[in-house]
Parts: sequence; C-alpha cells; structure tokens
Amino acid sequence: MPTLVELLARVSFLAAMPAVAGILVTAGLLVVSRDWRLNMTALTLQYFFVVLLLTRLIRLEVAAVKGLIGWMICLVFYLTERRASALKQSSAVEDTEVSRRWIIPARTSFCLLAGILVSVAAYTAALHIPLPEVSTDITLACYLLVGLGVLLIGLSEAPMQVGLGLLTFLSGFDLFYVALEPSLAVAGLLGAASFLIALATAYLRTAQVIVGSEGKTP
Amino acid sequence: MIAGPLLLLIIPLAMAGIVYILLRWEFLSALLATGTALTLGIAVVTLPLDQPVQPFSFLGGDHQIAMGEAVTFFGRELVLEQADRMAMAFLFLTAAGLFFLAWRFAPHSLLFPMGLALLSLLSSALLIRPLIYAALLIEIAAALSIFALQAEGQPPTRGGLRYLTFTTMALPGLLVTHWLMERYAVTPDETGLLSMTASLLTISFALLLGAVPFHTWVPAIVGNSVPLAGIFVLTVNNGAIWFLLLDFLETYPWLSSHPRFGPLVTAAGLAMAIVGGLLALAQRRLGSLVGYGALVDSGCALMALGMNSRLGLTLVFLSLLVRPFGLTLMAAGLSGLWALNGNDDRFDALRGLGRKAPWSTMALIFGGLSVIGLPTSAGFVWRWALYRTLASPNPGSALCLLLTEIGVMIGMWRGVFALLMRPRPSEGNRSPRITSEGWLTAAVVAVAILGCIGVGFFPQTLAPLAARLADTYTFFAP
Repeated sequence: MPTLVELLARVSFLAAMPAVAGILVTAGLLVVSRDWRLNMTALTLQYFFVVLLLTRLIRLEVAAVKGLIGWMICLVFYLTERRASALKQSSAVEDTEVSRRWIIPARTSFCLLAGILVSVAAYTAALHIPLPEVSTDITLACYLLVGLGVLLIGLSEAPMQVGLGLLTFLSGFDLFYVALEPSLAVAGLLGAASFLIALATAYLRTAQVIVGSEGKTP
Repeated sequence: MIAGPLLLLIIPLAMAGIVYILLRWEFLSALLATGTALTLGIAVVTLPLDQPVQPFSFLGGDHQIAMGEAVTFFGRELVLEQADRMAMAFLFLTAAGLFFLAWRFAPHSLLFPMGLALLSLLSSALLIRPLIYAALLIEIAAALSIFALQAEGQPPTRGGLRYLTFTTMALPGLLVTHWLMERYAVTPDETGLLSMTASLLTISFALLLGAVPFHTWVPAIVGNSVPLAGIFVLTVNNGAIWFLLLDFLETYPWLSSHPRFGPLVTAAGLAMAIVGGLLALAQRRLGSLVGYGALVDSGCALMALGMNSRLGLTLVFLSLLVRPFGLTLMAAGLSGLWALNGNDDRFDALRGLGRKAPWSTMALIFGGLSVIGLPTSAGFVWRWALYRTLASPNPGSALCLLLTEIGVMIGMWRGVFALLMRPRPSEGNRSPRITSEGWLTAAVVAVAILGCIGVGFFPQTLAPLAARLADTYTFFAP
C-alpha cells in the first residue's frame, strides 16, 4: 500500500496552475456556501491543493504533515457539524424546503460577486506585487487564500464561517512563509495555532447550537 | 540543577491540568490557581538571577534552581533577563489578583485552568528568542483564550472571535519582519526594507493593541464574554503584547529613532482615547462601557510612549502596573451584576440592582474611578503624571485626554445612576430585603477596593518599580 508521501509524489504533476485553480474553486465555495457538508469537502480539498503547492517549496514529508494537520482540522469540523445537525433536526426540515425552491438567495449572489471581485484583485496583485522567494502561480494562490479568507471573516460573525476564514487566511500565509522560513519549529507552531483555532471554533459552534441561537447570527 | 525559565513554563501548565480536574470544587481550584500564580510571581522577582538557590533546603531537598540559566527548548533559547523578569512578575501577579476575584465572581469558570495555561504560553513568548516565536505563541494564546472567554450557556463570544481574528491578522506582519531584518543585515543598502518593516510592525501592533480602527474587539471582549476573562485578555495578554512591543523597539532601535515614530504613536493614542471617550458617552450597556474605558486607558499609554523619552516610558510602565486595579474591579462588579440579572447589562435592565448587589456596585464604582483616573484611585497615579508631562509641550493633547475622561465619566454616571435608582414597584416587591451577596464576596471586594485606594494614596509603592523597569530598556537613552 503506498504511503501518503508516495501518493503526494504521484499527483505532483498537479502542483502548478491546476492546484491554484482548485484553490480558487474551493475557497470560492467556502465563501458562497452555507451547507456544512459542501464546506467540509471544500476545506478538505483546499488543504490537498495547498499541500500540492507546498511540495514545491519544502520537503515532501513536511508538506504531508501539514496536510495531515489540515485534514485533522476537517475531521474536527465534520464531527462538530454532524453533532450540531443531529441536535437541530427539527429545523433541518425547514432548511430542505427552502433549498428546493431553486432560487439563489440574495446573500449567495452577494457573496459570489464579492468573491469574484476579491479573486480579480488577487490576480491583479499577483501580477503587480509579486511575493519574494515564490513563483507567480504560488503568489496568486497566496493572494487568493488570504483575500478570500478575509472576505469570509468579514461576511459573517458565525463561529464556523469565521473559523474557516481564519484557517483559509493562515493557509495562504503559510504557503508564502515556508519559502522564507522553512524551520520545522515554525511549521510546528503554525500547525498548533491552526489546530487550536479549529478547536476554539468547534467549541464556539457547540455553544451556538446549545443556546439555540442558530439563525440569529448573521 | 533546574533552570528557572523551564519551571516558569512547566509549573503553570501542569497546574492548569490539575485545576481543570478540580474545577468542580470552586475554593480548591481558585486557591490552587491563585497560589500558583502568586508563588511564581513572587519567586520570579525574589530569586536571584546570577546565582543558584536551594528553595527546598528546609524540606531536606538539595535541588538547586538557577533563574538566570539559559535553556534550549526545541532548539530555541529561553533566557530570563532583568526586563523579562519584571514583566513576568507583572503577568503572574495580575493573574493571581484576577483568580482571587474570580473565586467569588466566576467560580467553576474555565478562566482558572486556561488562565494558567495562558501564563505558561505568554511567559514563553517573553523568554524565547528570536522574537518570531513569540508572535506564534501569542497567536496560540489568543486561540486558547476563547475557551476562557466563552460564558457557559451563552451565545458564542463575539469579542473572543474578533480578538482571535485581529491577532491572526497581526501574525504575518510580525513573522515577515524577522525575515526582512535578516535580509537588511545582508544588504544594508536596501533601505526600503526598513520602511517595509516599520509599516508591517505598525499595522501588526495596531491590530494587537486594538488601536483605532482595529478597536472593535476591545469593547466586545468585555461585553460579550466572561467579564473577568475579558479583563484577563486586556491586562495579562495585552501586557505581554506591550512587553513584546518594547522588546521589538529594543531589538531594532532605529524604529524608535525614526522621525515619524513619536507623531505616529501619539496620533494613534489620541485617536484611541477620543474614540473611546466619545463612544463611552453613548453606551447603554455596562460591559461595553468597561471596554471603552480600557480603550481610553490604552490610548493614554500610547501617548506616553509617543513622548519618545525615558519619562514617557516610565509612564507606560506605570500605566501597565495600575491598569489591572481598576479594570479587574469593574469586571468583578459587572460579573456580580450579571449573575443577578441573567447576564443582561443594559442600563434599563439594571435599574435598582445596586440595592440588591451593593458590593458588586461598589466594585464597579471604585474600579470606574480608577479607569477614569480620578483622585484617590490607582489610575490617578499615572494619569496625573501624564497630564502634567503633556501640559507644557502639548496642552491641546492634554485637554483632549481630559475631555475623553469626561466621556467615560458620564457613561459611568449613567450606569451608576441606573443601578442606584429606586426599583420599579413590581420589581421592588420582589427584591429581598437582605443582600444577595455573601460576606465572603464582601470581604474579597473590600480587599480589592483597599488595594486600589492604597495604590492611589501611596504611589511610591509602584512608581519606583516603573522607573526601574524603564531603566532596563535603552532605546530612549540619550
């Protein structure tokens, strides 16, 4: 059975513009969607594409460990949201009815437009303000992750959305910073910070569900 | 021989675990948390740096502790220097005071174990070199603070989330600075690197200290969280940020000698004070009012730093030392009122509650007096010195600061007026004739108030300490 490092080596041909395109799609989905299953899938894939780009900057093993931390974060979120959805099953019926109407809500349209604007700004910034020590495609990926992460934080005060935004923002910065400081201690501390942010987010999400304030928070 | 710095990191962390297990027993958990913080605070200032000591000799133990010995921890060096020593004592003793008040006002809260864990992280941040690791540890501390800030059975803490967000935003600037300075050391002709470093540091510390326009987390962290945990962040966490800022200024002395340093810091401080004062005037909730009071206080401290002089630095330290007295008292009062009023701190909802909770009200009033900087309170000690120092070179700024104090004072007056009003007849009938606070709470509040007034009457207890702390930094030396 191939190891994680071998698997990453096999798909390394994607570690260029395809990975950047993947980051654009997954981060865009996080901005637009409020469905937790879709968000968890998008976050998992986003970490996969980030790890692919990381393999060009640091050792494969270190990139794989960073990926594992990311996927553990996804697992924490998945378990939290699963429990949350089980606790509020009654309101789930209402949600399903709304989603069957085939109408794009105004919020989704607004988020989509804002996401497109940020993506265009990130593309322009990548062309005119290149980051040191990294190539243009990785610069674009960094700007996309940071920009869409900030947008995600700004669009909502719901713990899960803010948490996803913070992690997306940190992924973007991490992608750039590993090229400047490839130290293992820094990688470990950044990983610990990301994991603690995920735990804090899950804790607040649980508090939100327990209080039953779902829907009150914008 | 045991290296002192290692003990300062490991003991609080180990005690955090023990306190978490014992959280059900409020007295025991509070005693352990307060005792640990107090003991370490006293140990860090009393044990000598230059020679090993045998603190357990009376028990027959022969273990020696060397406080000044450098330790390598995961390949990074941890050193306890004179300035760090005082900074850590400040963090530990402030935390001890907060834990003591939390015994009566936030029992069973996660503030005890998380506060101890935070002390370990923040101590590491102050001891570790190079400074980039400090930035990462402060980010981890911010994430951990969320667990203490979230009140049980309440909606998610908005203030905590904002605090975490702003701390995360500040992280890239602090980390990239280190790389820029390494590059500048190799290519000193590239002066653009210095400008970029200065800009990044300015933005990062503005985010961390809650400077306008990044101040929204400051009022929210008190108003939408466990108040004492919010004040823990505003005094202990922010205290560590202040010491980190001073470490940066010490490491890169060209920052403080930059011609724009003084005006920029002064302008940021003045903006914080003015915005805080104006918004405090319009508040209808006690929690936010406490937050805006803290914002004004931070603004005044920044103005002192902006003086670009040794005296200004002494005032910064004095402000850091006296700030916990007022803010912790206010937070304790707020917690007491919250407990009686179902966490509703709107002025309308608090009407007449001062009669049911006289000790919480007293704590709020005396804490408020200190935050405003009125005579006989701890806050007056450094505010008066600040106004006098500012008055001759910059009377306009001094006047502005005085006016901002009036803003906070009016906000406080409205809150206290609501508390002391006669309750509405329907509520009045329901109110018990006896006070709902026990004698233990009264004793704890009385001790805290006496401490606050004591510092106000005897400023010589803290002023020389602030001067000694200022002497350990050389960047403002002539």
